[in-house]
Amino acid sequence: MTRRIRHLLGTRGTRALLCAVGVAGVVCYLFPVYWMLISGLKTSAEIFASPPSLVPTHPTLAAFEQVFERENVARYMRNSLLIAIPVTLLTLLLGSSGSYALSRLRSRVVDVALVLALILQIFPDALLATPMFIMFRHFDLLNTFASVVLATSAKSLAFALVILRPMYRQVPIEIEEASRVDGCNTLQTFWRIVLPIMRVPLIVVGVLSFVQAYGQFVYPLTLLSRQDLQPATVGIYSFIGAEYADWDRVMAFASIFALPILVIFLSLQRKIVAGLTTGALK
Amino acid sequence: MRQGTVVLHVFLAVSMLYLLTFIGLPVVYNLVMSVQDVDLGNIVDLIRPFNGLDNYREAFADPSFRQVLVNSAIFVGANVIAQVGCGLVVALFFGQRFPGAHFMRGLVLAGWILPALVVGALWKWIFATEYGVANYFLSWLGHGRVHWLSDPAVALSSVTIANIWFGTPFAMILIAAGLTSIPEEQYEAASLDGAGPIARFVYVTLPGLWPTLVAVACLVTIYTMRAFDLIFAMTQGGPLDASNVLPLLSYQLSFQRFHFGVGAAVGSFSFIIVLAVAALYVWTLRREEQQ
Repeated sequence: MTRRIRHLLGTRGTRALLCAVGVAGVVCYLFPVYWMLISGLKTSAEIFASPPSLVPTHPTLAAFEQVFERENVARYMRNSLLIAIPVTLLTLLLGSSGSYALSRLRSRVVDVALVLALILQIFPDALLATPMFIMFRHFDLLNTFASVVLATSAKSLAFALVILRPMYRQVPIEIEEASRVDGCNTLQTFWRIVLPIMRVPLIVVGVLSFVQAYGQFVYPLTLLSRQDLQPATVGIYSFIGAEYADWDRVMAFASIFALPILVIFLSLQRKIVAGLTTGALK
Repeated sequence: MRQGTVVLHVFLAVSMLYLLTFIGLPVVYNLVMSVQDVDLGNIVDLIRPFNGLDNYREAFADPSFRQVLVNSAIFVGANVIAQVGCGLVVALFFGQRFPGAHFMRGLVLAGWILPALVVGALWKWIFATEYGVANYFLSWLGHGRVHWLSDPAVALSSVTIANIWFGTPFAMILIAAGLTSIPEEQYEAASLDGAGPIARFVYVTLPGLWPTLVAVACLVTIYTMRAFDLIFAMTQGGPLDASNVLPLLSYQLSFQRFHFGVGAAVGSFSFIIVLAVAALYVWTLRREEQQ
């Protein structure tokens, strides 16, 4: 079929047509994201207009101001960051060293460890919530960020181990041998030679762990009962729990929360895509 | 060299101990709880009365469990078919050469990168009966209002649509990676033999892509089995369990009805399903590596 179209339109025409179809598809797909962002810009009267306006007629930041003033968005955002940043650092620390070992050691232990990491990352958070609750009660860590950080890091660590191992494999072993000849021990070689080479994959894994921890919902819901500690996910949830919701404000809150993620994603899009495609299927 | 291996083993041990403490232990603890009589009084004790398979019996006898089991099967099945199918079509489309193809392919991941809870909240608003944009588009087509989230006959479809929207970009990007690994020469050879686009797809693309498709189907199953945030935000599994799935039911049994033992039994039952899929996944990858 492409050939027939190509015959009619020529190569340039075909490419233009494909491009147009692609743009239309992406616009349709991303419509919900657009809808979230512009719903926050509508007035409360416009949000309940029928039919809904596809472009806000009187764009206003009123809903954004209101959620900051009345719904403690700043506090929710701070809590989300206080969970996501430690998770990212912990995941990178353990993940970079653990997967380096997985890529360099060759033994039965490694095979077992690898399968274990693969298996352990599949268990849904919601099913681990009760044991986590009991565990952290024993440690007296309920209502601390530490509990949520420790629980959330486990999943991102399993993911990091699996995704980073094939990337370490691509670091030429000769570089490490040369560094040893120069008198560096394993720790120095790892820190000064290998990690700098692995910069890009580590950034990708860091970003993905951050995104995952930032959006974490089940563990804070279960492990934090104090409202002043809860992150934005729980905040948004309690906002829409009621049957009736002020959607302009909910969407303003959701936009504020999602915007950092979208910005990080758009700026690192190519690296993230490359990282995902090499890691996830290995 | 000796000293080097010691360091590496320490690296490995720290990570593995962490995983075993914070995932392995909870999984085992869950299994133990599923054969115990657990209530609010003894929830923090370590020793509790053993009650055999009573929790499992109670779960299986519950009509809502059966409905949730069917829901989960439909939810996961529809997601796997739609995400792999749409992912394949979109990956093939963006695999063609035209300006912006790579950029656009990456851009759709913007949907997948959003927190699941935000996606749930967003779709709850899109599906709102009175002012939602979904019903507005339907009215264009001359269709009456649909109670997307409050009609028990529709709610499961609504959360399924939202989850397909959410998950497809990831499936697509993995399939796209699989496509690039098929050697160009195979297509050229097929063309020389006179194969048209359809024949090339059937005889070159599909066989080359098959292991990727199986692996992606397994991953989608695993990810869909853990869908919690999205449904929790949209419907809480309601109305009347119409859109409820296993992990959500397990959580509700434990934290809303305080039937911890039965909740753990439902959870352990889900573990078995996820483990079976994961085994298939690992087996597919191993076989691919050996070839």
